[in-house]
Amino acid sequence: MAILEMNQVTKTYGSGHKKVEALKETDFQADKGELIAVIGPSGSGKSTFLTIAGGLLSPTSGEILVNKQDLSRLNEKQRSKIRLKEIGFILQASNLVPFLTMENQLNLLDKVKKGNMTKEEREQLYIDLGISDLRSKYPADLSGGERQRVAIAKAIYSNPSIILADEPTASLDSDRAYEVMELLKSETKNKNTTTIVVTHDTRLIRYCDKVYRMTDGVLVSDGQPAT
Amino acid sequence: MFLAWNEIKKNKLRFVLIIGVLMLVSYLVFFLSGLANGLASLNREAVDKWDASAIVLTEESDKSLLQSTMTIDELDGIEAEEKAVLGQINAIAQTGDKKANVSIFGIEKDGFIMPNVIEGEEFSAGNEVVAADSLKDDGFKLGDKLTLSSTDESLTIVGFTDEARFNAAPVLYGELETFQRVKFGEAAEANSDQINGIVVRATGLSNIVSDDELEVIESEAFIENLPGYTEQSLTLNFMIYFLFIISSVIVAIFLYVLTVQKISMFGVMKAQGIPSGYLARSVIAQTFMLAAAGVIVGFILTLISGAFLPSAVPVAFDILTMIFYGVILIGVAILGAVFSVLTIVKIDPLKAIGG
Repeated sequence: MAILEMNQVTKTYGSGHKKVEALKETDFQADKGELIAVIGPSGSGKSTFLTIAGGLLSPTSGEILVNKQDLSRLNEKQRSKIRLKEIGFILQASNLVPFLTMENQLNLLDKVKKGNMTKEEREQLYIDLGISDLRSKYPADLSGGERQRVAIAKAIYSNPSIILADEPTASLDSDRAYEVMELLKSETKNKNTTTIVVTHDTRLIRYCDKVYRMTDGVLVSDGQPAT
Repeated sequence: MFLAWNEIKKNKLRFVLIIGVLMLVSYLVFFLSGLANGLASLNREAVDKWDASAIVLTEESDKSLLQSTMTIDELDGIEAEEKAVLGQINAIAQTGDKKANVSIFGIEKDGFIMPNVIEGEEFSAGNEVVAADSLKDDGFKLGDKLTLSSTDESLTIVGFTDEARFNAAPVLYGELETFQRVKFGEAAEANSDQINGIVVRATGLSNIVSDDELEVIESEAFIENLPGYTEQSLTLNFMIYFLFIISSVIVAIFLYVLTVQKISMFGVMKAQGIPSGYLARSVIAQTFMLAAAGVIVGFILTLISGAFLPSAVPVAFDILTMIFYGVILIGVAILGAVFSVLTIVKIDPLKAIGG
């Protein structure tokens, strides 16, 4: 079942001869339980793709359906609600609030939204991610890998339908990077959510169910990666 | 509150500094208000104590009690529920090597402006006076014989009353004849009907005098026309008003700098769908906590330092006024936070992701 659908979505910046087509006509579909990678060099338009999919940016044309709701028809306030409810972001850096302890990062979500994980699920999440001991630690006291795992916990905690990860392994060494991908994969399968990872790191594609390649604003399916 | 409080807990030093600045501003505001209040009562407490609605003076005196002269017969032409005659003269009173600038009030003992006596007894004979208790601070005491600067007459303190200063001078209340002897010396007999004004209590003030040469001045207007009173209170009040503006600007700048530092963090939170309204409320709540803490500490500090001040400093703290100013300070601080709120609302979550 398609949880995210993009139909003939384009994004252009500027006009006249300065016109830049960041995203050419794109059709895309993601189903539940899929871990999808979008790879491409920087400047290829993959960030534009991710921000449009996440409802942070309005497309120039086309429609984006998140759980059957067309984002392009909503205003910022309504899109903000969709983001809170349906989408979990994992960003490159500074994803965490610097003055909140790990535990409070999640508590913050309880303050603004219902339907997050129960206490038991939360404890299990800590164990799955190996962050049980970090509850009262501030982001500044965590290593890069720990920070990324807390960021993942934060993204998953609100039970989103879609997880959008922007270079989730950017600041990590290979071992840590693989660890993070393993985690994302198991969460995706266990919770039957959809995870889209945007990266330029081709080593990660072996964890993914589908791979797309982004070149100069054109999204091409690479099919299933060879394992 | 959750975000606001956790941020304060994490960055204690930063927020203690902001509270410190707010505390100093509120300390200054409270102290100035105490000073304004103290200086004002220095001028007006005797008049306030009369609890009169107005005073009748001659029109040509231009609202100055000292310059107004009339005869006691004018009393009959005044229609008011209660009336009391008043004669007034300034003098330097001296006993031993102690000197004080005093204001001598001649009154009738059964008039409503007769002061209560808190120590000693009421005046009952000529040249006996009930003195303001502030004179006690200067070393005057019951039974002191006071020689006066402009006359050979001498007065005896037989009692003390509280709250009896007029235009910065302690008041000596005595009989009308006592006042006349001080003012006219040997001609006192011939001037035994001379007074300066008539203090009245009345419900309507428009028709109480028929004589064109007399003017009815409401108590508040009378006080405002005391020499130097308005200038002094305006100066201090202007300082207080400017402090309100300054503190709101200081808070605005502080919070704005803090907010600008956190733009990317707010952007990430907005990207995650946390509503701007929640973030804005958090900033407002934080401002409230900081301002309230600063004001409360400033308030306590003011009262403590007030207790250690020498009596020569005319500071009188009016708790109600201080609470009122404290609330205004918190209010203007929150007003200062509005800039930061506007900034937060305008943050584009996209920027946070570097899209």
